[in-house]
Amino acid sequence: MSSDADRTGKAGVIVAPDDASPIDKLAHSVLDDLLYNIVHDLLIKVHRDEKTARANTAAIKIEKMAAEASETSTPDSRPDVRIETDAAIYEDGKVLLKGNPLKTTKDILCPRCHLPRLLCPTDGKGAKKPDPGIIYCKKHPYIEKPGFDIYGQTWVAPGPGRGKKKKDMEKKLDPNDASSPAPGEGTAKDRPPNVLSFPSATCSKCKRCILVTRLNNHMGSCIGNSGRNASRAAAQKISNGGSNGGSQNNDNTPPGSQKGTPLPASRAASPRKRDGDEFDEDADESDPTNPKKKKLKPTTLTKKVILKTKGTPANKKDKVKGNSMLNVEQRADDDDSKDSTVQVAPKKSASKGGGPSPAKKLKLGPTKPQLPIPAPKKVNRDRDVESESSGTLSSPPQ
Amino acid sequence: MAARPGTPASPKNFKIQPPQPGQPLYGCEHVQRLFNQDQATTNTSIQHYKAILRNILDYSPINAQTAKAAEGPTITTSLTSTYLCLQCPSTLTEDDCVKHGNKKSHRFYVDSRSGALYCQMCDDIVWDPTFEDLRLTKIGTGSFTASRKRKQDDLLAVDPVKDNPQYISTNTTVASCKASGLRGIYNAGATCYQNVVLQSFLHNPVLRNFYLSDGHQSSNCEVPYCLSCAMDDMFQDFYAVENTNGYTAANILSGFWISEKKAFENLVTTKEQDAHEFFQFLAEELHERNGDGKKPETGSEHSCNCIIHQTFYGKLQSTTTCQHCAGVTNQVQSFLDLSLPLENLTQKKGKKSGNAKAPAMTLQECLDEEYIKSDKCEYRCHSCNSMQQARRQTAIKCLPNVLSIQLKRFEFKQGRNERAAKIETPVHFPLQLNMLPYTERARTGDTKENFELARSCTYDLLSVVVHVGEIDTGHYVSYCRVGDQWFAFNDHKVELASKSDVLGAKAYLLFYIVRSLA
Repeated sequence: MSSDADRTGKAGVIVAPDDASPIDKLAHSVLDDLLYNIVHDLLIKVHRDEKTARANTAAIKIEKMAAEASETSTPDSRPDVRIETDAAIYEDGKVLLKGNPLKTTKDILCPRCHLPRLLCPTDGKGAKKPDPGIIYCKKHPYIEKPGFDIYGQTWVAPGPGRGKKKKDMEKKLDPNDASSPAPGEGTAKDRPPNVLSFPSATCSKCKRCILVTRLNNHMGSCIGNSGRNASRAAAQKISNGGSNGGSQNNDNTPPGSQKGTPLPASRAASPRKRDGDEFDEDADESDPTNPKKKKLKPTTLTKKVILKTKGTPANKKDKVKGNSMLNVEQRADDDDSKDSTVQVAPKKSASKGGGPSPAKKLKLGPTKPQLPIPAPKKVNRDRDVESESSGTLSSPPQ
Repeated sequence: MAARPGTPASPKNFKIQPPQPGQPLYGCEHVQRLFNQDQATTNTSIQHYKAILRNILDYSPINAQTAKAAEGPTITTSLTSTYLCLQCPSTLTEDDCVKHGNKKSHRFYVDSRSGALYCQMCDDIVWDPTFEDLRLTKIGTGSFTASRKRKQDDLLAVDPVKDNPQYISTNTTVASCKASGLRGIYNAGATCYQNVVLQSFLHNPVLRNFYLSDGHQSSNCEVPYCLSCAMDDMFQDFYAVENTNGYTAANILSGFWISEKKAFENLVTTKEQDAHEFFQFLAEELHERNGDGKKPETGSEHSCNCIIHQTFYGKLQSTTTCQHCAGVTNQVQSFLDLSLPLENLTQKKGKKSGNAKAPAMTLQECLDEEYIKSDKCEYRCHSCNSMQQARRQTAIKCLPNVLSIQLKRFEFKQGRNERAAKIETPVHFPLQLNMLPYTERARTGDTKENFELARSCTYDLLSVVVHVGEIDTGHYVSYCRVGDQWFAFNDHKVELASKSDVLGAKAYLLFYIVRSLA
């Protein structure tokens, strides 16, 4: 910086010549200072993130060593040992830095899982091959590559050729796979593993599985008033209103018979619509390998993350620590009669409609890995759920 | 230097931050030595640091940017950083630091533009947990004790028991490091107008903290098809599971279809809809599920403690001054968002430049038009007891934590075929927005020297909703910021975005978040 300081300013802007007007000189100088400040601010931000991460890494490493050295298994106790590394000293349960962590510490450990962070993306811009011998923290740098998303996933291009034929569906499309967690883990057989495909979801009213792209249309006709049902209802309203008012209407059907048309039946009575909406279901039922899979709600196993307890501000999300508690969700089943095909209703409607129901979400404390299970039938289902969506489980509780 | 107390008169003993696992106790060996001398040194160091931060943040930057040379009467005011000595009241230029350090053995200096601590022995900036906590609290809340006052009491209130790290760790579940909250949302058939609004809610830190701290537990809620429960589930699925594929917002969609809001009846169709209307719908619905249950009446001064009101609602005050008797009438009403018309300004600018194509304008120009300039109107004056000419001006009385701005790009043109048209004029919007000029306080009082107030009116861009295409058909995409990184959301596709992508977008909705809760 100092070598060029005569001809350029701090940020490298050329200093105005000596014979320039004072305003020129001032302008050059101000511009140089402002650019310098921008660089300074950026640098301070990056410096803070990097140095703090390295300092914390040094602390995590030495705490781990101290815990191993003292051989006490109780967590959070501060072992009474003295350990010294190149980067830090552990003494009286305190971590003291030695030297500048930017020089002494080269890698960065995740403050949460204590695994090394991957520092370059695995694909796209700035990509580097990760060391296959190292287990990295699951938080990876985001990928910047045209046609791929930040996780390196790609998607089915819109356009012709996307439509699926019924005979293809039987062997190809398994909607449960599509909604399963990681598309990268060997789901569909004839599709590249990282292609995002459209999953299915359960309509909360009729409990049918609908391909997500048709969900809005389906709900329009199932719940809302935009389907053909609606026009019938409207016609009925008009005709009822008309007859109440005593005016003549030229509809020959008596109001009673119009009213008698059951609402759900009218939906099934639309063959074309049904074909479209229930495509997946048909395909699935003809699939002998997994008759049940389809009926499960895509995200059956929900995990609760709670930053803090109720009522406290949660703006210190860095403090989130402790054991991961899984919430096993159980559903009240209101159509137990159809036991061959287990229909899992969306939890809200089922539990709220069905009177006293078993607790929907049970929190498993760290010390209680199992919980009392209300009915044997539900045990089975929960096991199913667990085994099938085991991919959604994150790293095991530490 | 008036703000710096000469002697540490306070008998209060300052403590350094207690040791935290996974974090060193001090920023460097030299800070460690400073804090381990004796209590008096610790007290003066912390007191001085606080005084310096006040000096930097609460007073004119000229104070901190002006350095006095080590020898002689030379006084330099510079645009770049100066260094404030932690151990004595000197302010020094970068070059004089070394001289001062050698002469007085003062080794710690505070950067005048950021408040960061520079250690001369390390020859580096050090991030000491004790000092850094003071700096962040001061910048974040305007004072050193986090819960002193303020409208955000509920957001900031700290329960000493519940703030204990031990308590937190035993009562929380840790999400996987992979769960980042970044997922797309599948388009369920012309629902991109919902997806963009949902994404902006998902990446709104205030709402995120509310839902992730069990603000509305879907397991305890008895309301059938509750949209707030659906939001709770969605936050869990974004921030707690490792899935990186798109999210199917089935519960939101069914809650939306089932909801019986008369005002939004025509929104509930399978056709393409307006994202702004959906935003209003979702805000009102969530307010009713979490708040006092009262309908938020437009035009009234409705206030409520629900999360939606704490996040989005501010207050506008319109002042009408009678031109005849100079009588003043004030009317206060709460607002969910600021709607800025573009049409008038576009025409005005178009005429000026004589160009057929309307030139670009800035967000600040639009805000000036609405909240600084006054307009003429007719009104019934009470004191004159007759219809009079009056001047009306609207200003913001109370700013929200998250400011949502709608740029009215869809304007209904009367006369010409009675058809709505889309205004494509680019509107430049900043990453950082100063709302102080549009507040009622700026109009009535002198706010030039109140830097804390200015900071509390500074907003950072949080998300941008963009409409691509024609008035009656098109597509919505959005940009959201997570930390310093921007992401582009296009239904289930999530990509990295650069700041220039974001700032170059033809925004329809803008969400700004307040920088400091002061």
